[in-house]
Amino acid sequence: MKHILLACSAGMSTSLLVSKMKEAAEAKGIEAEIWAVAQDKAPKEMERADVLLIGPQMRFMKKKFSKTADEVGIPLDVIDPMSYGRVDGEAVLNKALELMGE
Amino acid sequence: MNKFMEVLENILMPIADKLNNNRYLTALRNGFMVALPFIIFGSIFVVIANFPFLDQWISESAYEAYQAALGPASASTLSIMGLFVIIGIGYKLTEHYGGESIYGGAVALASFLILTPQVIDFETANETIEQVGGVIPTASLGAEGMFLGIFTAFFAAELYRFFVEKDWTIKMPAGVPDAVSRSFSALIPITLTLSIFLIVRIIFSYTPFDTVQNFIYTLIQEPLTALGSGLPATLIAVLLIQLFWFFGLHGQIIVNSVFDPIWYALNNQNLEAFNAGQELPNIVTKQFIDTFIVGIGGSGMTLAVIIGIFLIGRSRQLKELGKLGAPAGIFNVNEPVIFGLPIIMNPLVIIPWLIAPVIVTFITYFAMASGMVPYPNGVIVPWTTPTVLSGFLATGNSWQGGALQLVNIAVVFVIWWPFLKIMDKQYYENENSAEDQRNETVNM
Repeated sequence: MKHILLACSAGMSTSLLVSKMKEAAEAKGIEAEIWAVAQDKAPKEMERADVLLIGPQMRFMKKKFSKTADEVGIPLDVIDPMSYGRVDGEAVLNKALELMGE
Repeated sequence: MNKFMEVLENILMPIADKLNNNRYLTALRNGFMVALPFIIFGSIFVVIANFPFLDQWISESAYEAYQAALGPASASTLSIMGLFVIIGIGYKLTEHYGGESIYGGAVALASFLILTPQVIDFETANETIEQVGGVIPTASLGAEGMFLGIFTAFFAAELYRFFVEKDWTIKMPAGVPDAVSRSFSALIPITLTLSIFLIVRIIFSYTPFDTVQNFIYTLIQEPLTALGSGLPATLIAVLLIQLFWFFGLHGQIIVNSVFDPIWYALNNQNLEAFNAGQELPNIVTKQFIDTFIVGIGGSGMTLAVIIGIFLIGRSRQLKELGKLGAPAGIFNVNEPVIFGLPIIMNPLVIIPWLIAPVIVTFITYFAMASGMVPYPNGVIVPWTTPTVLSGFLATGNSWQGGALQLVNIAVVFVIWWPFLKIMDKQYYENENSAEDQRNETVNM
């Protein structure tokens, strides 16, 4: 079971992506829990995540999140703007898997 | 152009980083977040209490009784929203420092109340003014007290942390229940913090301002909100939001962290006037920005762009984007459009992206100033409320608010039209030539 966490300002636009990523994961036969939260909830939620993906519009949060991510020991990155705009669930899922070293 | 954009991004990115990661601004934003459910609850009941045409359907006394019955809903939330913000800030800032956050919230609240006037002027039957004690004027807990509340919460949480870190606490012997020892450990830091605020209050009582509340309100809040309610400051704020977004940075989060206290204070002034049946003082408020400028489909009013895509889109890329962006756009979430069109870093759309909101700001301002559309009455409409409905609710249930939003959409649409057409043509040609190439390869 993989735990993929997404974060943006209110968790609204990333939740669009979440549903697309779930579809992509299902198609690939990957068991994954994928969820989106607002930025303030992210540090807490990181504890039960395997990877954190940040919405590109909040990329200035990366530095702050990196600290917590290091502590919890999970990788993180900013989602590519094009994939974000196209709500390309598969591309973002692949990115998450890549970050987790799959 | 690329060089220029690079330079600009290198300037904007650190600003975004600083503003968003500043512990005070973060606590401020989260403090407002704590208040938001209460504000929205109060707002809903202001809307219900002032349901259109109801006063014509039922008798005057029944209508009055109806309003009186619903009144406490907003009186205990919206009108005293400063209290929630203060508790929220104190809590969040203390939490940030890893302290006992509930005490941080409570000490901020108590400090603020210590600084608050506790008498009101009461006009007696023979027209002399008497001061009534043993009360806290609710006005001081809403709009008027907003700025003092914010500063007080910062200072109170800082002082509380300072005294806790100094370790000036009472240590309980082992074996004392945890909850007991914790309340004792908070005793000295809280006592010291509150004593400082009490001294401040006493000092101010010897000045012409009488209370700190008066002092901050007259010297800082009034001039600042007057500035913020003007058109120039509003235009700057709107342009900054657009500019940050152009570089793909969340403009509202960044700009609101500075402007929200002003916009909310202006909002509450309107609400107080509305509830008192007086003329509304401000055009520019939180709702002016949220509902009429950045709200229509999201930042930059991209609902008009989505409509444009449906009307002129021939390229597959735009058509796909329209389908993806429309459902979210209705609820004012527009990241698909911003990143998918794309709007970010796209020199072709920088003109409509920056110009349209400025023109709409002018139109909205003058539509309200001229009396064609009522001022926002201070009701907080959640930003995900669909357009037309949000305009209707924000202007105190009047259809003109919704109509103004439709006009704004039309204006944005016209400004975007030529640029969307060029973009669509480019995409369409690219798609076709890619198709041709593919066909050629197959034929070979």
